[in-house]
Formats: sequence, C-alpha cells, structure tokens
Amino acid sequence: MEKDMAFNNQDKIGNSLEQDRAWAESLLNKQSLSQLNASNTEVPIDYFESFPDKLMSSIEEQKREKLEKKKAKIFFLPSFIKPMNRWAVAAAFIILVGGSFIFLNSSVSKKTGASMLANNINIQDISIEEIETYVEANEWIAEIDVQAQIQKENAKLSSLDEKQIEEIQKIINQ
Amino acid sequence: MASDQELIIQFQESINREANFTALLKKHQQKVYYQIKRMVTDHADADDIAQLVWIKIWDKLDGFKMESEFSTWLFRIAYNETLNYLQKQRKQGASNSSSDLLDYENATASSDSPKSTEIQIGLERAISQLPEKQKVVFMLRYFDGFDYEKIASIVGTTIGGAKANYHQAVKKVEHFITQL
Repeated sequence: MEKDMAFNNQDKIGNSLEQDRAWAESLLNKQSLSQLNASNTEVPIDYFESFPDKLMSSIEEQKREKLEKKKAKIFFLPSFIKPMNRWAVAAAFIILVGGSFIFLNSSVSKKTGASMLANNINIQDISIEEIETYVEANEWIAEIDVQAQIQKENAKLSSLDEKQIEEIQKIINQ
Repeated sequence: MASDQELIIQFQESINREANFTALLKKHQQKVYYQIKRMVTDHADADDIAQLVWIKIWDKLDGFKMESEFSTWLFRIAYNETLNYLQKQRKQGASNSSSDLLDYENATASSDSPKSTEIQIGLERAISQLPEKQKVVFMLRYFDGFDYEKIASIVGTTIGGAKANYHQAVKKVEHFITQL
C-alpha cells in the first residue's frame, strides 16, 4: 500500500530533496540505505589526515619527471622527427656523393681545357725563327718520310699494266 | 575560512600555491573520495583514483575560469576519472560484472559495518548492478543531497535527465529487491 502510494507520487520527483529521499526510502529500506552509506564512507584510520602529504609528494614526483623529460628533449630529437631524419640522412648522402661526382668531373674538364689553352698559347708564342730552327734540325726526318712516300707511289706504278699506263697518259694529255 | 574562490585566485596568482591547494584539498577530499568509493567500492582503487583526480586538479587549476562552482568541476572530474578507470579495468579483463559483484561483497563483508541483513545485501547488489550514471545520480541525490542542476553538470546530462536517472535507479533497485 505504502509502495503503491509512493509509486503514484513519482511525478513529484525532483520537487524537493526531502520528497525524493522519502520516496526512495518508501520503496527501498531506509535502514539498509543508511548501512550502505556507512559501509561506503569507511576509510582506514588517519587516511584523510595523511592523504594531503601523500598527494603533494606525488605531485612533486610528477614535477621532477616532467623536468627530466624536458631535459631529455634537449639531447634527443622528438620522436615525430626521427622518421624524417632517415630521409634527411639519405638525401644528404645523395647530395654529397652526387655533388662530389659533379665537382670532380667539372675540375677534370677544366684542367683539360686549361692545358689545351696553354698549348695553343705556346704554339702562338713560338717565333718563326724558332720554328725554322726546329724544321732544319728535324729536316732529315721529313726527308725520310718523303722518300718513303715516293717509293710507295713507285711501287704502285710498277704494278700497273700497259693499258692502265696508257689511260693515265691520256688523262694527263687531256 | 577562505572561500574556494579566494583560494583559487591566490593559487592562480602563485601566492602560496601549495598551501592554498592543500586548503582546497582538505575542504573537499572526503566528498570526492566517497563519490569515487561508491562507484568502485574498493578502497585501494578509490585511493588511486582520488590521487589521479587531485593531480589533475593541480595541473588544470590555473586554467579554471570559475564559470561554474569549483565543487561541480571537481566532482565532474572525479566522475570522469572513475569512469575511465572502470573502463580500463574492463578492457584489461581484470573485472567483469560477476567479479565486480564478488569484489563488492568481499569489500562489504570484510568491513566492520553492522552485520548485513538479507535486504541490505540485496540493496547493495542491486545498486552495484545499476548503470554508472544512474548509480552516481542516486548516490549524489540521496546521500549527498545535491540539487539536480549540480548533478546534471557533474554527470553531463540535463536536469530532466538527472531526475529520470534518479527515478530509474530507485525503481530498478526496488524491482531487484522484490525479486529476492
């Protein structure tokens, strides 16, 4: 009967704290509810007295850990940069190798060009007298070359037959 | 005794931060602990969560803008931290509904509370099986006497939703007890 009345009064929920409590106590058991509250509010002796000190030391420890993490960050790159680091190292390596290859090639070609230029200047700088002296000194080598060429040509002529010789003479006469 | 607002302002202005924080802690620690313990029942768990809650308060208090009451903000953090803790426990498989119940019964049986009657055991079991939100709404309304506006802010619902949760909680517990 009491429960039914309480059930019918459920529309009054939220009107006041006393009404809400009374409604709950009518459906449940007031004594059990107070015993439940008693068991839920039990704590070890001096728990609340010691809790602030325990908490403050935890906070201090947390502060220290944060500071250590900050210090560590000075020496170590953040983890999100590390994967990029691999690419950076790879790119730097490629640039280094490629750069040195290009640099070395260009210096070789520069050297070759420079030596050619140096040779040209040397030939231009040589005086005619010096050239004539050189030719005179080496004339006998040139003579040998000429003689060798004549002998070669004579050998070719001697191998011709009469018909070929006549044709050549005709061409010369024309 | 200084008000919450005065303590918070001094804390935020870096005047005796630890002393002002400790004063806030001492004012509210019991109610926060009880709210948590009603949800987890085990003292060690409640102690761990209470520490997490107060460390979070220490970290976030500088940014607290006093748009709501400090106690509302505090209880909301306690409620959310407790829910997170329970969810983690469930994910780890450390507890399920039956072991929760077993823990709950062990916790109450090992306490020095008055000898439990059959109705009380039934009541405790029924409350432990309520959804978290209904359980907290019932506890905050019945035991702590909070108004529905504050309860709604703590559990993240409307005033109407909080009233409905209280009603549902009482009806479910009653239904459970009558079936014994």
